Amino acid sequence: MRVLDVLLGRVKPAPSKVDALFSISTAYVMLETKLDLHHAGAAGICFKIIPSTAFERLQVDLEELLDLARRETATEFEMVKDELGFLWIVLRDTDFEDLVTTLHLISETLIENGFDDQLLSSVFKFNKEAKDIYLIYTYKRGSFYPFVPLKGRERDVQYELKLGALLEAELPVEKNRETWYPLWDLPL
Amino acid sequence: MKQKKWYGKDTGLSLRMVLTGALLIIVYLAFLTLLSFYLDFIFLLIFAALFVFLQFYFADKLVLWSTGAKIVSPQEAPQLHTLVERLCTVADLPKPRVAVINSPVPNAFATGRNQKSAVVAVTTGLMNKLDTQELEAVLGHELTHVKNRDMLVITIASFLSTVAWFIMRFSLYSSLFRGGSRDKSAGAGIIIFLVSLLVWLISYLLIRALSRYREFAADRGSAIITGNPPALISALLKISGAMQRVPTKDLREVEGLNAFFIIPALSGGSIMALFSTHPPIEKRIARLEAMERTLEGIR
Repeated sequence: MRVLDVLLGRVKPAPSKVDALFSISTAYVMLETKLDLHHAGAAGICFKIIPSTAFERLQVDLEELLDLARRETATEFEMVKDELGFLWIVLRDTDFEDLVTTLHLISETLIENGFDDQLLSSVFKFNKEAKDIYLIYTYKRGSFYPFVPLKGRERDVQYELKLGALLEAELPVEKNRETWYPLWDLPL
Repeated sequence: MKQKKWYGKDTGLSLRMVLTGALLIIVYLAFLTLLSFYLDFIFLLIFAALFVFLQFYFADKLVLWSTGAKIVSPQEAPQLHTLVERLCTVADLPKPRVAVINSPVPNAFATGRNQKSAVVAVTTGLMNKLDTQELEAVLGHELTHVKNRDMLVITIASFLSTVAWFIMRFSLYSSLFRGGSRDKSAGAGIIIFLVSLLVWLISYLLIRALSRYREFAADRGSAIITGNPPALISALLKISGAMQRVPTKDLREVEGLNAFFIIPALSGGSIMALFSTHPPIEKRIARLEAMERTLEGIR
């Protein structure tokens, strides 16, 4: 089918994968006990804003859903639009499990409504001493990669590589290191 | 339950591509059958294959060199790189190299023999003229060219057309200079010349048509990847408006590369639609508007 798509010039976006998202829960145990990495109580999901009425409605539905989550699990949320036209839903919760399940819920809602093509990534924030460490999940690849920003748009590549190698045991880590794209100025 | 995607299918466009491709194959097969009567042309076939292969293999360097496009690093053009990275993440494509052309004419192109060696280039004029969403839409168009391997498709489609062109020139030359005394070979030379001319003409028109369909497909791909058809509409309007005001003098140099630009760098008007590599802007916009309607659920 790939050949036919090329010959006919058809673009079929890769389907979004959400199941692997849950594997971060088990990996977190390892991160905390072995590496002294603690979650920073924040996670976010990023997707493209689509200028359509159906999407606006979905945004309203999502807000209702998140209001419900706020009451049930005390997960705070915030919607932030970045300068590239992407929407971030930033979640704050002291319980890591709640962050994971809420992110999964949002992802599922987007997919159910047929708006998963523009689903970019989910980001989990961790701390080690004063350092901010992020694990980024990309939906199209269904894999994680670490992102450790330093001052002046530099990255702690060594630590990222180390984390990538260690996480391999617990998580699907993105094999192609060229796609470990940075996400600067994260709203988390 | 999974909902249906908003963009649906464009069966008409697929059918047109199949039809154009089938016609090309028929013309080429007939041409090859005729050629097989004159075995000496095998040499020419190999020569043309080598020529086309080299052209294809070095296309990215050739195009970068002739347009003066410079590869830029993420530090030099952070926003451009981030936009490309996000589009590639969404479209699940390897990230192409990103280049910038120092020119006030707003335009963009993609080149490269495969997805890995691909280059996406934009002019400084494009970056100045368009806002982020419009720039993203143009990059989406170019990335769709990469994803659809349009470079490869067009190269393969035009291979035998190139052969026909070679033979046309070669047979004219040989029959003019040594045909006179040998009537038989002169007659054959004229037949070959006429057949090659015909094959070249027909395939030329078919390839142009195919190229226009690939443009529609790239517009469609951009709308699907970005989820934003109106952004590409306004980008096309801005670019075409600016194109008409820009003098064409120094643009002649880039004429040959038109097939891979988002909008051909020619002052249109006099050129017949049949010979154009790109569909008229109005038609491209009409199709994007139709997509916009399906996005809103209005059929």
